[in-house]
Parts: sequence; structure tokens; C-alpha cells
Amino acid sequence: MFMANRRRLQVLTRHASALFSTNTTFQSLQTPPPLPIYQPLKTLTSKFPLIFTNPDPNWSQIRHVSSSRIGDVNEDNEHSEEEDDDDDDDDDDYYDDDEAVGDSEDESVSGCGSKREYTAEEKEAEAAAIGYQVIGPLQKSDRVFKPYEPVFAVLQIGSHQFKVSNGDCIFTERLKFCEVNDKLILNKVLLLGSSSQTIIGRPLLPDAAVHAVVEEHALDAKVIIFKKKRRKNYRRTKGHRQELTKLRIVDVQGIEKPEVPEKPPKAPGKKPEKVAVAA
Amino acid sequence: MALRGAWQLQKLIVSFSDWGGSSRGIRSFMESYLPVFKEKNPQLEVVTELIRGQHPHLKGFYKNKSERVVCVKNMDPEEVLQYATRLRNSLGRKVVKLKTRHVTKHPSVQGTWTTDVKF
Repeated sequence: MFMANRRRLQVLTRHASALFSTNTTFQSLQTPPPLPIYQPLKTLTSKFPLIFTNPDPNWSQIRHVSSSRIGDVNEDNEHSEEEDDDDDDDDDDYYDDDEAVGDSEDESVSGCGSKREYTAEEKEAEAAAIGYQVIGPLQKSDRVFKPYEPVFAVLQIGSHQFKVSNGDCIFTERLKFCEVNDKLILNKVLLLGSSSQTIIGRPLLPDAAVHAVVEEHALDAKVIIFKKKRRKNYRRTKGHRQELTKLRIVDVQGIEKPEVPEKPPKAPGKKPEKVAVAA
Repeated sequence: MALRGAWQLQKLIVSFSDWGGSSRGIRSFMESYLPVFKEKNPQLEVVTELIRGQHPHLKGFYKNKSERVVCVKNMDPEEVLQYATRLRNSLGRKVVKLKTRHVTKHPSVQGTWTTDVKF
């Protein structure tokens, strides 16, 4: 039934595009209405969330899966990919691809000038593309360094992904627009987890955020690039030191943190022992 | 750099010559950029030192008692400033190849996976 409806729609749109293609000026504007096709699929997928069940009693709670997504562009692309088993909607996809290519070209052009001046918006946009947002310098009054919480997040910075929890250090490629002692929000979070639950993004979790502080801009150890061609008297050596940024993760937000019942009981448990030994 | 908010570079010695040609850049750096640099980094003790007949250098003393020396002969004032900032931005640890880019004290929250774990 559903498939039949779809077929009919496709036929309709094909007819429509054939009609429009006779008029060349109209063709650029023409977009076959995709919504009635896409909508039912969406609801279908959201009806069956990913549920992980586990025989282990510690794990037995139902995992929550966020069904909301960010990035409308991604959504559309994904759906079109899902539906492209049939040979329709080609026009749409070509348009999408063109747009995507154009975007990436723009980025590469803007990224190549090393000494160009950036406006505040450009800085923000580039930082957002990498996956961070600068909040401002760390004040002395800020109490951001907290004890460890048993919660982790998988996050993406640039093209690297890290599994972090509170108090970790990560080395990323140098982040351009931040100074040492700045506070950052890392917002490309792919997964959140605690000991009892896991939240999986599809692909990102829009509500989650990881807070971090910039600790160091430093150079990595020297790498020697050595080129040689045999029998040609050709040798080149070149040194390279990669710029890195060290971040300390301060907070993982977006998942309820289990109370830390393990540590306080342990500490009192240890103290009496010590007292006993001393006595 | 700042470890948990505490700046690690404590003292910066700017050594120069008032005569030599290789100190031309650092002399103009001391006129133009150094006052601003000092103001921006009140936690930092900046000392200038005149050594004639030597190339100029920057020397940083860190909280972990390490020190780092950078030669700045024949450099532009901008480059000298870049090196000074780099000294300030670093932690004073030894430069070694990183084994991992992720340093953690708590490697696993949900338990390390082994072949025995059944899902």
C-alpha cells in the first residue's frame, strides 16, 4: 500500500519534471516535492529506538537514545541516501551535492591564508566547524576543577575523536582562536555514558556539552622527514614540529550524574582501619 | 601555560646586546612589545640583561624548576614576541614524543571489555 503510493508519487513527479523540462527557465526552480515521501519514513525510524538489553544486572536499565537531531542538512542527505535505492529523485541529489562542494571550497579558501584577519563571526564559525566555542578567560574565582565523576563522553574535535571524562587531558591540533587559560565548550558530542546508562547521538547529541580549559599551546617533538633516491645523489632532510593544544576536561554535561556513593563510604571505611592500626 | 589555572612560567630573562647587529630585532622588541607583554602577564617576572658580544636569547624559568633557552639572533621583533609567547604558553615539561594524545586517570567507566563480557 505504502509502496504503491510512493510509486504513484514518483511517477507523478517524473511527469512533472518532464513537463517542466520543456521550459528551460523553469527547470532551475523546479524541485519535486520531497516531503510527502520522506515524512512516513522518519516516523517509522523513530518508532523503533535502539534499545540495548543486557543480562548483567548492573547494565539492565534501558539505554536512552536521543531521537532528536541537529543539522538539517545532514538529515536531508541521509534520507535521500536511504531512498535512493529507486532510480528517482536524481535531480535533487545533484543539487545537494553541488551545494556541499561549494561549501567545502569556500572553507578551504578561507583556511589557506595564514596571516589573514578574521572577524569575530568568522572566528566563531571556524571554531564551530572544528567543534569548540570560546567562552572567555578563566578567572581566579572560578571553581571549575571538580573531583572525578564516573561519566564519560565521546567527542569530536576537528577530525579526531576522544573518549573523555572529567579531569582528563587531551592533546588536539592547535586550536586557532583561543588563548591559554580560556574556557571552551566542546559541542560535538557523539555519545554520553555513565555506569548505568548510555546515550547515543545520531550522529550528534545537541543538548550535550563538554567544558574544557586550555592549558598549553606547545610544539610536539621534532619529526624528521627524510627523502632519498638511491643512486641519484639525492637526500633531503626536513624537520617538523607540530603545534598542539592541551585541553583539560572540566565538566561533562547532558547526562544525569550518578551520585558518587562509592567514594564517601570507602573513605570512612578506611579511616577506622587506620585508627585501629594506630591504636 | 597554565596547569589548572596556575601559570607555570615564572621568570623570563631577556638577554641582549646594545651593540651587536644580531640584537637589532630584540632591541626594537624591548621598546615596542615588551612593555605590553609585561602588562598582559602580571604573574610573570621579566628581567632584561645586557650581555655584550653575545647573540641575544630568551630564557624561561618554570615552576617545575626546568628552564628553556631560545636563541633569538637576527629575528624581527614580531618573531621574538612569538617566541616569548610560546615560552609563556608552555608548561616547561620535557619535549618528548607523545605516546598518547589522551591522558586519563580513569580509563573506563562501564568496565574494561574482555572476552568474557557477555552482552
